[in-house]
Parts: sequence; C-alpha cells; structure tokens
Amino acid sequence: MTRSLFKHLILILGAIVVIAPFYMMVSYSFKSPGEIDRGEGGFFGRQEMMIDERCVKLRDPDRRDIALAADRFSGQSDDQIRQALIQEAEADCSMRPVVFNYTKAFTEAPLLRYLLNGVIVTGSIFLIQVIVALPAAYALAKLKFWGREAAFGLVLFCLLIPVHAIALPLYILLAKLGLTNTYAALVVPWTISVFGIFLMRQFFMTVPDDLIDAARMDGMQELSIVWRVMLPTAIPALLAFAIFSVVAHWNDYFWPRIVVTGNRDLFTPPLGLREFKGDGDGSFFGPMMATATVIVTPLIFAFLIAQRRFIEGITLSGMK
Amino acid sequence: MAGLSITNITKRFGDTEVLKGVSLDIADGEFISLVGPSGCGKSTLLRIIAGLEDQSTGEIKLAGNDVSGVRAADRNLSMVFQSYALYPHLSVADNIAVPLRMRQQKALQRLPMIGRFVPGQRQIRHQITRDIRNAADMLEIAPLLERKPGQLSGGQRQRVALARALVRDPAAFLLDEPLSNLDAKLRVQTRVEIAQLHRKLGATFVYVTHDQVEAMTMSSRIAVMMGGRILQCAEPDTVYHDPEDIQVAEFIGSPKINILPVDQNATGALGLLGQALHLQVEQKCQSVRIGLRPEMLRLSGEQSLLTGTVEHLENLGAELFAQIAVPGLENRLVLRCDPSQRAAVRLGATVGLDFTPAQALLFDQDGTRIRRVHDTSRRPVSTAEVVQHGRT
Repeated sequence: MTRSLFKHLILILGAIVVIAPFYMMVSYSFKSPGEIDRGEGGFFGRQEMMIDERCVKLRDPDRRDIALAADRFSGQSDDQIRQALIQEAEADCSMRPVVFNYTKAFTEAPLLRYLLNGVIVTGSIFLIQVIVALPAAYALAKLKFWGREAAFGLVLFCLLIPVHAIALPLYILLAKLGLTNTYAALVVPWTISVFGIFLMRQFFMTVPDDLIDAARMDGMQELSIVWRVMLPTAIPALLAFAIFSVVAHWNDYFWPRIVVTGNRDLFTPPLGLREFKGDGDGSFFGPMMATATVIVTPLIFAFLIAQRRFIEGITLSGMK
Repeated sequence: MAGLSITNITKRFGDTEVLKGVSLDIADGEFISLVGPSGCGKSTLLRIIAGLEDQSTGEIKLAGNDVSGVRAADRNLSMVFQSYALYPHLSVADNIAVPLRMRQQKALQRLPMIGRFVPGQRQIRHQITRDIRNAADMLEIAPLLERKPGQLSGGQRQRVALARALVRDPAAFLLDEPLSNLDAKLRVQTRVEIAQLHRKLGATFVYVTHDQVEAMTMSSRIAVMMGGRILQCAEPDTVYHDPEDIQVAEFIGSPKINILPVDQNATGALGLLGQALHLQVEQKCQSVRIGLRPEMLRLSGEQSLLTGTVEHLENLGAELFAQIAVPGLENRLVLRCDPSQRAAVRLGATVGLDFTPAQALLFDQDGTRIRRVHDTSRRPVSTAEVVQHGRT
C-alpha cells in the first residue's frame, strides 16, 4: 500500500515536471500582458477588456484625420477632436486578452502558411524515410549477403553521430548545391534515418522466415515482398517510427533556422515563434504562447489517435 | 505435374556439411516422405528442391529440366509450411489468391483501384474468383473466406495453407512438417485428408516429417535420412520389415525395435546369452547385433531363449506393450502381446520369451544389415533372398 503510494507520488512529481511548461504555455496564451508580467489571474486570467497599445498607436490621429473628422465633431477644438478620436481608437482596439493573443498569433505572422510548411516538410521526410528504411531494414534482417554485419554495424555507428556535429558540413554542401532556402534543404538531410532502419530491422527480425519463403514460393520478387508482405505486417512499428519522426521534425528549430535565411514563406512552425521575440518594444508573451499552443495541438491530437497502436508498436507485439 | 530427379546434392553451411551427396528419383504422382530425426537435413533438402536454398553441388531436374539456379518463384512448385505462413493482413480469400495474382496479373493490374480498369481484367478476376472457390470447396473452408488468419484455429489455418498451395496447379507439392503444430486428434484426421487429397489430385508430393507414423501411413515411398544421407528409400512395408541399416530399423516402428548383442564364434555361428541361435554368418564381424520387432517376440513357457521380469506395462486397449528386463541385457525388451495374454504378463511376473531366429534382422558393427545368413537349424537359407523387395 505505502509502496504503491510512494510510486504514485514519484510518478506524480514527474508528471508535474513534464506538464508545468505546458500549463504555463496554455495559461499565458489566455492572459493579458499585465497579468503575465505580474503573474496573477490564475489559469484563465481575469479576461478583462484590454487595450492593444500598438493598435491605438497605429491609429494615432494626425492633422489630416482631424481635418476629416471635423464634420462629425463640429464646434470643438482640434485638441478635443484629437482626444475623441483617440478614445474611438481605444474602443475599437479593446478586446479580451484571449482573443487578442490568438488573433495576434494568426495575423502578426502567416501562421497557417507555417503550419502548411510543417505538414509538407514532415510529411515528405517521413515518406522518403519509409521508402529508404523499409528495403534497407529488410535486407539487413532477412537477406544473406557478404558484409551484412558490417553494414549493420555502420548503421549502429551512425546512430551515435549527433546532428549538430555534421550540421556545418551539411550546410556547406547544400549551399554549394544552391539548395539553401528551399524545401529540399529542409527535407533532404533527414531522408535517410538510421534510427528508422534500425527500428524496422529489429521488427523484421521477429517476422518468421517462413512467411517470406511463402511469398517467394507464391511468385513475389524481393521488392514486392517488402511492400506487400513486410509493410502491412509492420504497421505498428511504422506508426511508432512515424511518431518519432514527425515529432522530431515538426518541432525542429535548429535545422530550419540554419538553412532558411530570410525567406519567410519557408518558415516552419517553430520558426514562426521568432516573430514574437521581444525586439525594442518588449516581448509578446501572450501571442507567442498562443502560437506555441497552436503548433503543438496537431501533435497532441495525432498522438492521442495513434496512442494505442503506438504503444503496441514500441513493444513489438504486432506479429502473431 | 512432373517427376523430380535429384542427383548427388551436397550442401554445406560454413564448415558443416548438412547434405552429403543425396540422390533421389521421384516419379510423377508419387507421395514421397523424407523422414528422419531433427538435424538430418531433410528440411534443407526440401528447401533446395523448392529453390529457397542453393545446393553446394549436385543437380535437380524437374520434369527433365535442370532447375539449378532457377528462382523459387519460377519453379512452379507449391509449398506448405509448418507455421502455415499465411499473410496475416490478408483475408483467407486474398491469401489463396496471392499465387494466382502474382502469376497471372501484371504489376499494373495488381494495383489497387487502378488495376480494375486495365483491359482484360474482368476475365482474369472472374477466373481467380472461381479458382478460389474451387480450392475452398475442396478443403471445405468456403465459409471462412472473408476471415483473417488471426481468427482461425490451427486446423483451419492448415487448410487455408493447403488451399493456397493447390490453387494454382503446381508441378509438385512440397510439405514441410505441415502437421506438427496440430493437436494429436486433428493430426490423425488431417493425415487422412492429405492422403485423400493426394489421390484426388494425382500430383507429386514431397512430404518432410520427423514423425515416422505420418511417413508410414501416407507415403508411396519413404526416404529415411540420417546425418545428411538417405539411408534407405523404399515402400513403407519394406522399410519396416527389411531395413538396410540399424538406424533405419531403430527410427521406423513404434515402440522401437529391440536391439540385442549376439556372440559369434570362430565358425561364424551366432549365440545369444550363451544359447545357440542356429544362425551362421558368412563374413567375420567385430560384433553382431540382432533386431527384433516387439511383435516378433512371443511368450513361451520353460525352455525359452530369454527369461526376464515384467517391469512396466502399457495398455493401449487393442494391444499391450510389456517392458521386460532380461538379466544380462542392458536394455529392457519390449514385447507386443494380445490383451488376452494379460494374465500372463503382470507387473513383476517372470516370463519366458521366444522368437524365430530366422526372422531376426542382423546388423554388423557399422549398423549395416548382414544379408548372407544361413539358418543351420534346418536347411541353409538366405533370409535376404526371401524378404528382399525390388525397388519400384
């Protein structure tokens, strides 16, 4: 009893550590800048009407505005008209903090475009990774050829190379090929996933040889075996790999930051967060956290949908 | 349908030689069993015939054509595996259809959705559906066609595997221990069904098993393999009653044959535990052993060749097996007797055993059968000439 209580206590602590940043992110995305600065308002904030200072400043009336508005405020001095106009602007620019944060997230930067880029990049990366990894894993697991163990050793060795160590040579290569600031630069370096090859190879090792021999007797070529027999039986493992791959590349900030310079049309969602980093006029934590929330939401949904099969895939229990 | 001829096949994996020169001729329509203990190379031989493994040396001819180096897919052979090896993601009907689709349809036609619109498709598809139905009807699995293999019992899976093998009318069927994963009752039933299937199709069957009962009951001929060689290949009756080698004699038959050491004096006359057997062997051997099937022994009164005590009884209802310890012999003898003799063979009882020495199987020190034997009790006779059957 106490043992399980103790276990749960530790697990709860761990969960809190993991969840706290998410809690802050979602909470900040609801609050006004003042509440964020002062650290008040609970989870949702008080949701009082707030005035968007920048919006008001943009509508600061100049002489022409006052002259145009003179008809509406007849008999008043320029100064009074100016005050009235500012008040109108303030009324138009006031809104609930949550609305402010999320509209800012979508208007300040082309967030939808970034999300689309994210889908294109992670989707193509995963697709090509599968096209490369499945035949490679099949060969490493089930075909006998000279140097197979050495090849597999190299795969394991490549698992040890950190991405950041080869970033510079890769960048230079892409730059010389004139590929920086293209989708290709975002996709190509990740198409050969040694982790994917390793994971699928381990899974294919558990597929009985008889099944492959049966396919050969039935008249299949080796490549047909990969796509018609191995792929369908490996769906759970593939799903697990999909989660790893998609999460890693959807959230990747480092690589897009290096190869996408300037062209905002190629920004991936994490790069979009930079739009809100504080320059001269203070930070926009609210909209920034709203953006972050929007970015992680698809991943969370994808994970929840795939969760059951994902866990099956991890335990490699797909084959009967 | 076609005959199969194997000449001098050897196979080595690294340093170990698994097959040491195997030759075998299989006639069209024959049911051949490759039987032997595990590790004797029988499965390797079958995989070499199938084309899943390459032989190191030797030649395989299928219907007169050398198929060495031809891919498994192009040999037109069907194989049934011990683990059934059904595609887990396909329904039973699709599983059976795979060999037809892979052979009759081109890559473009096999594509999902698009394949439907390739010209000439309707006919091929109809033909395939018909063939699936026929195969399913023959094996009585028509109600299961829509299910996935995971939803089937072992016996049903075995039938699906058989249906997949016979749906495309192959040159020969290769079966690799297809009954090993079934329970005892189902095994007996399926045994009968496979034998009937063979009669109905009239096709060549090569059947690998370690179970000598399966080999004995189903085959037209049995090839007994040990240590990478075929020791004997003959009809079940011949293999049982007239084995060439002591290992064959020991492997075939249940309960196992009784092996007794005998003495040989200077003139070649044989004696068992000091009693004369009235048998004369022409050649001089280092040691001679005789093999006695449990049914060759019979109970007798006083003055028997062997006397011992009953140590264990196995009552199978229709027959009774008694294990009898004879002083001076290392192993217990197994006696097969009729249930009517039950009273005589009680546990602990002392019984006398007798046999006709002329019927006994004689083996020399290498385990090779000694054929030149003279019965000195009456007139000289060579047992070999009496019992030996010619090969077909």
